[in-house]
Amino acid sequence: MRVRFWGTRGSIPTPGPESTRYGGNTPCVQVTCADGTEVVLDAGSGIRTLGAALVGRRAPVHVLLTHLHLDHIQGLLFFAPFFETGAEVTVWGPPSRTHTLRARLARYLSNPLSPVEIRDLPARVRFEPVPAGPWRLGDCEVRAVLVAHRGPTLGYRITTADGSVCYLPDHEPGLGADLARAPAEWVSGLALARGCDALIHDGQYLDAEYADRVGWGHSGLTDALAFAERAEAGRTFLFHHDPGHDDEALAALEADARARWDGRGGELALAREGGELVLGSR
Amino acid sequence: MADDGQPLELILARNLISTIAVPAVLVDADRRFVFFNDAAAGVIGAPFEEIGVLEPDEWNAKYGPLDPDGNPMPEEDLPLSIAVREARPAYGRFSVRAEHGVIEIEMGAVPLTGAEGYHGAILVFWPVPEAG
Repeated sequence: MRVRFWGTRGSIPTPGPESTRYGGNTPCVQVTCADGTEVVLDAGSGIRTLGAALVGRRAPVHVLLTHLHLDHIQGLLFFAPFFETGAEVTVWGPPSRTHTLRARLARYLSNPLSPVEIRDLPARVRFEPVPAGPWRLGDCEVRAVLVAHRGPTLGYRITTADGSVCYLPDHEPGLGADLARAPAEWVSGLALARGCDALIHDGQYLDAEYADRVGWGHSGLTDALAFAERAEAGRTFLFHHDPGHDDEALAALEADARARWDGRGGELALAREGGELVLGSR
Repeated sequence: MADDGQPLELILARNLISTIAVPAVLVDADRRFVFFNDAAAGVIGAPFEEIGVLEPDEWNAKYGPLDPDGNPMPEEDLPLSIAVREARPAYGRFSVRAEHGVIEIEMGAVPLTGAEGYHGAILVFWPVPEAG
């Protein structure tokens, strides 16, 4: 399984020289299964360059949306496979009792916000709510669980014979909870993340910033580390970098995070756009 | 979708009731009493950490509910049963065994129904003041 970061930034893209090391595109992570199935986690602005890299391939593409906040869907209409006749793309997202996923996305992908409507897409595009239990995409097994954020938001775990990756980009498990002491089954997302080989987790705020943003749906560093420690992941990547943090600030945050993480087991780093991770031999 | 973790609806409900001062109990989809807060502990006389998760029969044997004559109440008349059966908040008044004997309480039950269906309920209760 190959994992590549195409967008690591939260909230809004931050192009410019101050974000070249950690990246300025909003969330998009590519997971390539061993059989070639492409799983795309979120459709932030990073999906544009990923889409260009996928043009001409005929493997099925599955876009897994964690939720429908703009920074996670704003790249959808710039995803090249949508415009390839004959391409097959399935978009998965959180379930709703009132509106289909397609109808919810169409609020953004329609006039006056978009020049192109979903029905105009040349590719065969399906929109599906995630199922209640695990399901298979190629040789990947996928599980989705609702997690603590503002509005219905999913976390995903993708497992193959090579290993597993858990993706929780927008997550505030510490809201109203003592992450160090709460029983594991009562911590948002923990059952999904436990023991994965690679954990990609919200680490948007410095602790001082989080104090003023409790309830916004993201984690401060202390909570991100506490969650990661209980998840016992092989590697942890802090993700959804705050748009107010330039490379220098993120480097300082990463150094602080690593110093505090030292001795807890496993590796810890900030996710970087363009970074790649290979689990297993493929 | 929760695998061996609790559904998010229950997790958030537990986080909420653990921070409020109104007596409240959390029930899962199997009617197990999976958490109660400190305010509820103040009424029934023991903290959740001491009592732990109780099956419906265990809870009923320990605390009731009881009718005015002290007999167990039919389950179908309880706010929780109504809330689940009719998918709406429900209200009831009955007696329970508390720390200092049988007391009368009022209870509201709110079903926790998410996109995937019913996950449990929050039961909020308060002792009925004795007539002066």
